[in-house]
Amino acid sequence: MADTYCPDCKRPTEVVFDHSAGDTVCSECGLVLEAHSIDETSEWRTFANESTDNDPVRVGGPSNPLLADGGLSTVISKPTGASGDFLTTSLGRWQNRGSNPDRSLIQAFKTIATMSDRLGLVATIKDRANEIYKKVEDQKPLRGRNQDAILAACLYIACRQEDKPRTVKEICSVANGATKKEIGRAKEYIVKQLEVELGQSMEMGTIHAGDFLRRFCSHLGMNNQAVKAAQEAVQKSEELDIRRSPISIAAAIIYIITQLSEDKKLLKDISLSTGVAEGTIRNSYKDLYPYAARIIPSWYAKEDDLKNLCSP
Amino acid sequence: MAARRNNPSGIVPTIQNIVSTVDLDCVLDLNHIAQHSRNSEYFPKRFSAVIMRIKDPKTTALIFASGKMVCTGAKTEAQSKLAARKFERIIQKLGFPAKFRDFRIQNIVASCDVQFTIRLEKFACTSHGAFSTYEPELFPGLIYRMKQPKLVLLIFVSGNVVIAGAKKRDDFYTAFDNIYPVLAEFKK
Repeated sequence: MADTYCPDCKRPTEVVFDHSAGDTVCSECGLVLEAHSIDETSEWRTFANESTDNDPVRVGGPSNPLLADGGLSTVISKPTGASGDFLTTSLGRWQNRGSNPDRSLIQAFKTIATMSDRLGLVATIKDRANEIYKKVEDQKPLRGRNQDAILAACLYIACRQEDKPRTVKEICSVANGATKKEIGRAKEYIVKQLEVELGQSMEMGTIHAGDFLRRFCSHLGMNNQAVKAAQEAVQKSEELDIRRSPISIAAAIIYIITQLSEDKKLLKDISLSTGVAEGTIRNSYKDLYPYAARIIPSWYAKEDDLKNLCSP
Repeated sequence: MAARRNNPSGIVPTIQNIVSTVDLDCVLDLNHIAQHSRNSEYFPKRFSAVIMRIKDPKTTALIFASGKMVCTGAKTEAQSKLAARKFERIIQKLGFPAKFRDFRIQNIVASCDVQFTIRLEKFACTSHGAFSTYEPELFPGLIYRMKQPKLVLLIFVSGNVVIAGAKKRDDFYTAFDNIYPVLAEFKK
């Protein structure tokens, strides 16, 4: 039902849209204004529990410029019903046995996709990791190393390049079997390769405690006040001479902030969500304790609360 | 010896370790050497060389069956050469016609303290970032690969600097002279 200008009645009239025939008909004089209109709603609906035999999809996946042929994938399928002559059944098998120039690449991309899924990373980071892997793939010195370590290192570099760094321990947790050392070595190697190829355009900034703070806080379920206080504290702590890894400093600051609030988090919980060992958090706490008054913002905790802070 | 060039700070790096190689120019029977000398170990399954140690100068040598030898642990070039000669003497006494060919110092490791704390993150961000690698998660020191002379410096927040990869004493003096003003810029 809509109001459109009808040429016969020469004035705007009530117009009815007939879905079955796709006609737009004037309700007063019956003139068909538009016929055969194209229905743009969805053709079919897909349910999770339905069998995949009758898949009406006519298109493949999005074209991937990283793959050799753009990701075109047409395969000869097995004929339904009676497996008739030898040719039709074997053709499918023969096609798949033929060398796929991209098979290892596709496998690697799949692994990167699984890892980035587990970490909850956006597609941008995943695509960047794919690009990086494509650049360094299949070079002789790489062959010796653990394939998982290389893929994990690609992901690590991609996260750093997008300014959303992930700690090596976090990447370790989703990379099956690669150790921190292996990923570190692979990362150094890849960075060197990329610099050689692109000519010095690889600028990955150093990591700072603040980059990780937001994420660690949300893992622990801290409230907004606490998160803001922690971020301010981290900013102030950068000027101090504390010789600890930025991750350990972040973990120690989270510990201090949570000890000051009502919602005290256990050392164990902080250790689990940040990946920093409990002993390290305690030591970093010892280093930060003398400066507590300087780094904790005054709107969050008063002097007396700081005195209540347990001395390490 | 020429006078040591000192930069205005008066700090001179001290050598911690020298690695040198020498060719004894004869095939050696490692089992014989290991059995007939007191201060050596030889586990062919683990490593295919005899590891021999002498007390003065306090050094360790890796002696291979081909006659090549690696001497590590000396604190000066002269000591390294002396130690290599002592090892060669031991091999000679065991009955092999050892000679002393191609004595070459392969690597000198030196360290020093610039006496002030250094801001490593700032260092890595500047124009020197092309040569630096600073990953606090992986290693607490900044790895600076100097191109001229070609060696590696490990720079720590405390101000300690380790210089490795020099083949001559002058190399690391030059390197330290080059790096000292840069470090002074990033004093904390």
